[in-house]
Amino acid sequence: MHDRYLLQKDHLKSLLRKLMKEYRLVAPARNRHGDVLFVVLEDLDAAELDLAAQPQNSLKEFFFPQREALYAYEISDEGYRFRPLAPECPPTIYFGVHPCDLSAILYMDVVFSQGGRDNFYLRRRRESVLIGVNCGAPPSDKCFCNATGHGPFLDFGADLMLTDLGGRFFVEADRAQGQALVRSWRQFFEAAGEEDRNARYQSFLEARGSFQRQVHVEQAIRQLADGAVAEEVWAALSLRCHDCGGCAYLCPTCTCFTITDQQTSAQGGVRLRSWDACTFAGFTRMAGGHNPVAQRTGALRQRFLHKLRDDVARYGRPGCVGCGRCVGSCFGGADIVRFVEKAYEGGC
Amino acid sequence: MLSPGQGKEEKQLRLHGSGETMHTVAADLYLPRQARIDGIVRENSQIKTFVLSFVDEEFNSAFRYQCGQFLMVSVPHCGEAPISFSSSPTRPGSIELSVRRAGRLTSALHEMQVGDRLGLRGPYGRPFPLAGLVGRDLLFVAGGIGLAPLRSVVNACLDAREHYGGITVLYGSRAPSDIAFAADLADWAKSPRFACRLSVDSAAPGWRGAVGPVTGLLTETGVDPEKSVALVCGPPLMIRAVLGMLSEKGLPDDRILTTMERQMKCGVGLCRHCHMEGKLVCVDGPVFSLAELKRLRPMELAG
Repeated sequence: MHDRYLLQKDHLKSLLRKLMKEYRLVAPARNRHGDVLFVVLEDLDAAELDLAAQPQNSLKEFFFPQREALYAYEISDEGYRFRPLAPECPPTIYFGVHPCDLSAILYMDVVFSQGGRDNFYLRRRRESVLIGVNCGAPPSDKCFCNATGHGPFLDFGADLMLTDLGGRFFVEADRAQGQALVRSWRQFFEAAGEEDRNARYQSFLEARGSFQRQVHVEQAIRQLADGAVAEEVWAALSLRCHDCGGCAYLCPTCTCFTITDQQTSAQGGVRLRSWDACTFAGFTRMAGGHNPVAQRTGALRQRFLHKLRDDVARYGRPGCVGCGRCVGSCFGGADIVRFVEKAYEGGC
Repeated sequence: MLSPGQGKEEKQLRLHGSGETMHTVAADLYLPRQARIDGIVRENSQIKTFVLSFVDEEFNSAFRYQCGQFLMVSVPHCGEAPISFSSSPTRPGSIELSVRRAGRLTSALHEMQVGDRLGLRGPYGRPFPLAGLVGRDLLFVAGGIGLAPLRSVVNACLDAREHYGGITVLYGSRAPSDIAFAADLADWAKSPRFACRLSVDSAAPGWRGAVGPVTGLLTETGVDPEKSVALVCGPPLMIRAVLGMLSEKGLPDDRILTTMERQMKCGVGLCRHCHMEGKLVCVDGPVFSLAELKRLRPMELAG
């Protein structure tokens, strides 16, 4: 328990190379356009790992693909049959995952295992090893994980958790799978001392103090619980929503989905599961046209209520992890931070 | 030494304490079972009742459900839609789903013939609390296709008639030719301590019943607030009006029951299409009491 180690940065690629012999490796890499994305790394030497920047995508798509065939169906003399399609899930190490994205995976673990157990998700998750890295400084000026309680450091959830201490990483191995990894590759890890622990703590204090933004998430949560958010706030923001779904697609915790059939022949097709967004006008519209959501004034209401009221009531913490991805992407300026600010100001 | 294989074993132990196999779990959550259309009853120009059985006979005879629950119904190339049971769980062996032609899937379903195959999964949802109806006078108020889930309850109660007090059904339709479930209405009329009153929005020659919304029948109906439970199902505007009137008649909110309708894709509490003020209709409903709805304040109750 509470095993603490050091990993010299010079040794990192050698370790990853060893691990790649047994696992698929997904890590944040900068591509030739300068964008950092979580990708499957085939060639470690050619890759430019970037552990500081925020990857544009979260890990959601690796566990819960944007579009996935669940079943193939066939209509024949024998009837109307569905054949399950097993998800592809090679054992995978997810390396360099920031606290916000780790928290999002822990959130999805709960969502996909409550009530109905969704094994399309859980099978991929079972084949995963999570190696996280704490944020020594917020990767972007849009980050607000400090306000949602998911960062900049995370003490649980990862199999191994790294903290950058300059030339070396401080490594925490609090879970059996992480401890087994360290035992397997013991030559890469040194025991950490008191000084290293202090350095980690120092790094934590600096990270915590370096957020530029004060987002009053807790205040908004209280207001929502009390029903004290004015209808005008929902209406003003909903009018700015262009119904594009960008926020939901980028969001690491948005897991709403739709299920549709795609006909591939006269006798058959596939049943697909795809990402959906509660802001879409068709999300709640029923056969015959009746829609229980007043789209013009309420399109964004469910999005923020789900994350900041319903998830808090159900799980004790908000569904928003404060990664800030939606903040930079909403061209209507109707992102969750804008909502929190509007609710805080009490106007619109 | 950790090999991927070892890791997998360790994790399986953790996640599969119940002993279920991974494959079964993966396959089962959204996997429809094949069912056959054994009969089709045309209730009116827009509603048909489909009599169904699972092709797997063993599964079919073991299949059980409760009043108020629903199935996810697959129609070839059309995906799935949630449909309430209109048959009574007291009569196992076959399932009846009454469907109004409303969109793409239901239109395709209406074109299907006896012998054709559907996919079914379920049952899903929180049922009507039948145990809570025992010893009570029952007042059913329905509009149009809303009688479908209530028909399930009425027939279940008639199959254990001695457990319930008086039963009253108030049923509103658009026109005399739109009155659905005529065979049931005729059967029910023969039952002891049973009153059934029909109303139509617009009368036709020969119509001797009431004209106007079903709320007109409710005005004329005496309700004993001490003894009664009301079950209400119909279009949102009707539900709102009827719930309000029942409350005014002094019936306590926890003995006024209704069902909510929402778009659904999964039926198991994950896809979230059926969100309703912090609840999910597929798992927290579709049956709600007025007491619950007053706390939630969904659009159906909004002024």
